[in-house]
Amino acid sequence: MALKAYWGRRIASSLLVLAVVLVLNFFLFRILPGDPVSAIIDPRFSPQAKEELAALFGLDRPMGEQFLLYVKQMLTFNFGVSFLSQRPVWDEIRSRLPNTLILLSSAMAISALLGIYLGVIAAAKRGGFIERLVLWAGAISFSFPSFFIQLVMLLLFAFAMPIFPLRGSVSIPPPPPGWPAMIDYIWHMVLPVSSLVILGFGSWALYVRNLMVKVLGEDFVFLARAKGLPQRLILWRHAFRSILPPIVTIIFLSLPGVVSGAVITETVFSLHGVGRFLLESVTGQDYPAAGAAFFLLALLTVVCNLLADLAYGFVDPRIGLERKMER
Amino acid sequence: MRLLHRWSLWALALGAIIAAIGPYLFKTSPEEAVAPPFVKPVWLAKDAPPSLHLTITEEHLERRFLWEYEPPLRFSLKGAMRFEVPPEVAQIVWQTPKGTMVLYDASKKAESRIDLDARDVSFKLALGLSPFQNPMPHLFPATGEYALRLESSEPPAEISLALQVPGSRWGLLGTDQRGRDVFHLFILGIRVSLLVGLSATFIATALGLAFGLSSGYFGGIIDAVIMRAVDVLLSVPTLPIMIVLAGLWGKGLFNLILILSAFSWMSTARTVRSMTLSLREAPFVEGLRALGAPSSYILWRHLLPEALPLLLANIALGVPGAVLAEAGLSFLGLSDPRLVSWGRMLHEAHAFGAFTSGAWWLILPPGFGIAGLCLVFLDLGRHLEEILDPRLRRKAL
Repeated sequence: MALKAYWGRRIASSLLVLAVVLVLNFFLFRILPGDPVSAIIDPRFSPQAKEELAALFGLDRPMGEQFLLYVKQMLTFNFGVSFLSQRPVWDEIRSRLPNTLILLSSAMAISALLGIYLGVIAAAKRGGFIERLVLWAGAISFSFPSFFIQLVMLLLFAFAMPIFPLRGSVSIPPPPPGWPAMIDYIWHMVLPVSSLVILGFGSWALYVRNLMVKVLGEDFVFLARAKGLPQRLILWRHAFRSILPPIVTIIFLSLPGVVSGAVITETVFSLHGVGRFLLESVTGQDYPAAGAAFFLLALLTVVCNLLADLAYGFVDPRIGLERKMER
Repeated sequence: MRLLHRWSLWALALGAIIAAIGPYLFKTSPEEAVAPPFVKPVWLAKDAPPSLHLTITEEHLERRFLWEYEPPLRFSLKGAMRFEVPPEVAQIVWQTPKGTMVLYDASKKAESRIDLDARDVSFKLALGLSPFQNPMPHLFPATGEYALRLESSEPPAEISLALQVPGSRWGLLGTDQRGRDVFHLFILGIRVSLLVGLSATFIATALGLAFGLSSGYFGGIIDAVIMRAVDVLLSVPTLPIMIVLAGLWGKGLFNLILILSAFSWMSTARTVRSMTLSLREAPFVEGLRALGAPSSYILWRHLLPEALPLLLANIALGVPGAVLAEAGLSFLGLSDPRLVSWGRMLHEAHAFGAFTSGAWWLILPPGFGIAGLCLVFLDLGRHLEEILDPRLRRKAL
């Protein structure tokens, strides 16, 4: 079946990306810092911990075997011990991963939904207020550095008008668990998420608008109008349905950029996330932690890419019939 | 040339000129502190005390000035004086609207070195204050006429004293956390942004051209490998890789340019490849091949000149990406700390408490600088595209 072949090819290409990431990671964090031993073992570790790590990563074996062991440890999330905190890297990351996932998914979902909605409206009413808003938001997101917009928002809403917190993911001292903790968390996430939405929805809306404008000029839309269908039905059922596949494409094309944006966002707002952890580990020369954070961010992108590819197969029925697809 | 009518070309020329002559516009080094940290711009804080520098020399033993502001934050008097014979009386007198006080008594001393600072405990005690009291309201009790002078029984042989009262406002854009002139830093910052943006884009375009041409012309395994590499690089988040490379490899300017260009050649390679694919089948290339021209000759003398003009717009449109990426890496603290750049300024503003002091003049200028540079190149690129591809012109109308 053609659909199966399509999925097979997509999975194979994801595995290729993953393999490249692993090789790159091995090269960057094992070979570049000098020698492999100093990349995993800090002189300050206890002798017992040193022995354990040496056995785990096969540091006395030849390079090829070390690489295989390394791949195995990476895929089982066995990242070694952090130089800075002297704790297993996975424990450090596990406490941060939910924050990053929540930040990314909520920002992405809100900006995509808002952008798509505004884009469709802008295309339906050319020359209106919404269209001008969309064009401006697009121009801003292409020319202003993202962190600058975030800094200005921080200056406005956390300093000039102290409505939101200046930094962090949790208040100090932390509020009692349950609803207060939940509300406190949301309060800390409002600025980061809304800044990412402000930066993100413009390009989505611009893209959707351009697609929609093209589609609205086509014959089947004209026919739907001639049949006397209500405008809403024409827009969403007929026209929007036909541009769904390219929208799904743009989801996975925008993912790497979104992950990159998370690193900067977490730094600006001092959030407790994987991106900032990567930056801190790199500047603190904590090689195992930096390698693990980088690997996880790349893995996140690869997995989301794959999901988007699979979703593409669902929204575009032609995938099942035709193997040649545009990318 | 239609390009000459674009504002962006003139803006770019202005930026380039500023970048070229920037370091020669100022007499001082940008590292030098000129005022207290986080001081407001002059035009914003009209009531804040300005900086005051007075010198006392053999010709001018008295200096008078008018003070119409709040008391300043600091006060220091430094210098030396020498008499032929030890004088009966020699005092440095500070006259305020509410009376006079003796700052330093040099009576019966032939030579004296003076180093007074309002923060020194000994100076406070000499003024008759407790060590914990702030001496500034005492030194500047009211608005009006002030004077600093030497009262001595005979004229000094040599004297040079400097009074320094750093004010609470400075320059066009205030000062940063180290008391440096932000306007000075802003002018210098354009150099790095422009240099990195342009050179990274040129290298990336050259890489994309080379890979795209060979991929499109040779096809087969070369094409497959290069296009797979493009796919992989496009689906991996590049900023984390750049962070890792910059962290492991060093933060120099040259490294930064190399890292940026290594991760931005992909789209150019794709464009060039598709162009080459159609050119490869063109009759003139077939003719060249039939005449026995080697591949290198066809690529170098015929395909490259065909591709180059179209890449001009590509370069202009690629610069904003490189400028933004440089700013992002600098903002994360991954740039050479000795080089002033707009990204670095924002990094320092974020890391050293511009927020707790509300110092927006540290944040807005570099941000708008980066955005302005990007807009200039976007406009230039779009215009070049229109000139080179007349089909776009109709669409724009």
